[in-house]
Amino acid sequence: MSFSFTKLALGAAIGGLLSGAAIASDLVITFDDLNPDKKAAYEAAVDAFKAANPDINVIANNGDREAHKSTIRNALQNDAPDVITWYPGNRMGPFVDAGLFMDISDLWASDENLSGKFNAIKPTMSRDGKQWGVPYSYYQWGVYYRKDIYDKLGLSEPATWEELLGNCDALKEAGVTPFTIGTKFLWTAAGVFDYLNLRTNGYDVHNDLTAGKIKYTDDRIRATFAKWEEMLDRCSFVSTHATMSWQDAISPFAKGDAAMYVMGNFSVGQYKDAGLTDEQIDFFQFPEITAGLPRAEEAPADAFFIPAKAKNVDNAKKFLAFIATPEVQGDWNKAIGQLPPNADAEINTEDKFIVEGMETLSTAAGLAQFYDRDAPAAMAKAGMEGFQKFMLDPSTLDEVLEGLDKVQAEVYK
Amino acid sequence: MTTTTLNSTNRFDTSTTQIGVSAVVLAVCLFVLFFVVSTSMIQEMFGLARQIEARVPTFFIRMVLLIAALAAAFFMVTGTSYYKRNKVALAPWLFLALGLGFFLLYVIVPIFQSLSYSFTRWDGLYDINGVWTGEWVGLHNYKVLLDDPNFYTSLKNNLLWLLLFMLAVPIGLFIALFLNQTVTGIRIYKSLFFFPFVISQVVVGLIFTWAYNPEFGLLSEVWSWFFCEMKENIVGNMTRVCSVDPPSILGDENMATYGIIAAGLWPQIAYCMILYLTGLNNVSSDQIEAGQLDGAKGWKMLWHVVLPQLKPATFIAVVVTVIGALRSFDMIATMTQGGPFGSTNVLAYYMYDQAVGEGVGRYGYGSAIATVLFFIMLIYISYFLWRMYQDEKEGH
Repeated sequence: MSFSFTKLALGAAIGGLLSGAAIASDLVITFDDLNPDKKAAYEAAVDAFKAANPDINVIANNGDREAHKSTIRNALQNDAPDVITWYPGNRMGPFVDAGLFMDISDLWASDENLSGKFNAIKPTMSRDGKQWGVPYSYYQWGVYYRKDIYDKLGLSEPATWEELLGNCDALKEAGVTPFTIGTKFLWTAAGVFDYLNLRTNGYDVHNDLTAGKIKYTDDRIRATFAKWEEMLDRCSFVSTHATMSWQDAISPFAKGDAAMYVMGNFSVGQYKDAGLTDEQIDFFQFPEITAGLPRAEEAPADAFFIPAKAKNVDNAKKFLAFIATPEVQGDWNKAIGQLPPNADAEINTEDKFIVEGMETLSTAAGLAQFYDRDAPAAMAKAGMEGFQKFMLDPSTLDEVLEGLDKVQAEVYK
Repeated sequence: MTTTTLNSTNRFDTSTTQIGVSAVVLAVCLFVLFFVVSTSMIQEMFGLARQIEARVPTFFIRMVLLIAALAAAFFMVTGTSYYKRNKVALAPWLFLALGLGFFLLYVIVPIFQSLSYSFTRWDGLYDINGVWTGEWVGLHNYKVLLDDPNFYTSLKNNLLWLLLFMLAVPIGLFIALFLNQTVTGIRIYKSLFFFPFVISQVVVGLIFTWAYNPEFGLLSEVWSWFFCEMKENIVGNMTRVCSVDPPSILGDENMATYGIIAAGLWPQIAYCMILYLTGLNNVSSDQIEAGQLDGAKGWKMLWHVVLPQLKPATFIAVVVTVIGALRSFDMIATMTQGGPFGSTNVLAYYMYDQAVGEGVGRYGYGSAIATVLFFIMLIYISYFLWRMYQDEKEGH
């Protein structure tokens, strides 16, 4: 009796502190991008959600993307928000396996958008046959090139490997380095590897490799590296790539010293900042290597998840359903220059890269997330270091592949 | 007479009021700490916990309560007659208690934790119920470590750092000797030489990264005076064409570690220089004169007369340089992040990279690296402590 009285008294005291705030339900969201355009798009979506749900008290947080990669661990285990951003594919694997993300298959089944308009990306959001998150954006990868240099030399967009090599020869003869790249932070090299592998062996081999079912010393992977060696030889990359970030690598591209760049569409804004115009740059899909192989593409997605410890699950699901609507997806991605995963969402038809990207991805036979998202982080780190080593010195190939086999045996268990 | 006896008995008496009041405060603090702030009692009853957390920083409340509880415990202990009788022996421990507690919590316990993690495979996660998700693998991590080329690269780099960083000691000495003269404005020169030590390691790292940059760095600018010319490229921009490409120091596995060490030496030399400058102030001029009378000069004077007197400065310089070499983490993190392909890793950075870096999450493996690093450092620390002990014995 006295105990509950204490509780009551304390409760009343604290209630008094709050000066009689109305008890509304909350929604705590944690986002991870402080870049001005990304931040604005996120805030706009949150404001729209607030306007549509005035009874929900939305607490919207935002933080640095790199820091988020380590703080999310603490957030999921201790003080969980109701909605949090993370990457799909294998990157969500550890959290799903530890039971830290909530299974939202019911939302995918019942929501009209998620059940019908997200088919292309659904496998990426699935693990163990269940769905775990809702993607808000993705973008295409491919080859960005200097159209003015191509025109000057009378070259055309290559559709096959041989045509690409031919273009490279012509570019080198004219004193232009065919490809620029900056591998200081490693992942750019993975983009090149992924495309060579997807075009040489196809989507299934990419998935089996990143899932640890194929060894790196496998003949099929060796075939990929053989193509890469051919590329290094005939389509050389800028020589100082190991000291450059991907942004640094834009400099030779903008100056006209290098003509092509295997990159994601987020880079277009930076080319324009470097002074290039829509007339000077263009995009083509990475050319075919093995004839007749269904064309798969890289299309990394960003998504929202509900932590298993979320306190306002209903509100969180409401928010995810809201994010999946074509209007929100369209507005969000127009603002950040990327593609909406919802097939019904409008895209910015004035942006030729977005139009080509939509065309590229909607006709693709499979969508890969990217080497460092499909493979577990420990494997990806070792793999990308191996790619960089190989690029700097192709004669180390055997050493690299055997080293990766060792890491693979250790990581996938 | 009577008053003193009264006082002296009083001094050793347990003061019941003090203990009573302290105990009540302690109990209240602990009650609030454990049963109100951290549990869901209120939340269950009124659904308010979220709202309180949104308005009042609970961390702050917890800290205040914790400090109040500690203070109450302190007064409770000092109120007992046992404490009063053994004040001289107990007081130092009472003052040390908090520090020792934190040292235990944040240094000693983690050492054993990381030792125990090194026998497991763990990705750093607890599941939703707070259950640890790892598994025991015995010595497996150490076996993998012995077969890991990156481990040997890191170990080799650690040794390179220790050896080459020692150059800071003689170079610092010579700069100190050079600056140890009375010329107008010598203080300005001394300050200028000392300046790099004042700059943060991160800034030093960035400056050298730029200087080494093969595209626009200072080094490549100088290089291009000899080997490069400007030519017009295909789209009409002026671009640099070199007969021999400028070295890509941080992009070349064979040069990168030396490049980082050179950058680290810059402030370290300044540090050693300042240590020797203060040491040189205390060199006795009598002995120098005596040496001069005996015909000693140049190297002989330095080796037989000056250096022995600088022994304390040399000892400190060596110690801080070894510590500096082991603290190479900052420089590596700012300059190469261990790259290209892990060739500039040292054990500390490799450990970070494997355990927490970019979510790689091999906590067990990282702990195994940490353990090896710990034992290597233990050798050095033991030597250092032994040396201190010897010196102290001599002193008495």
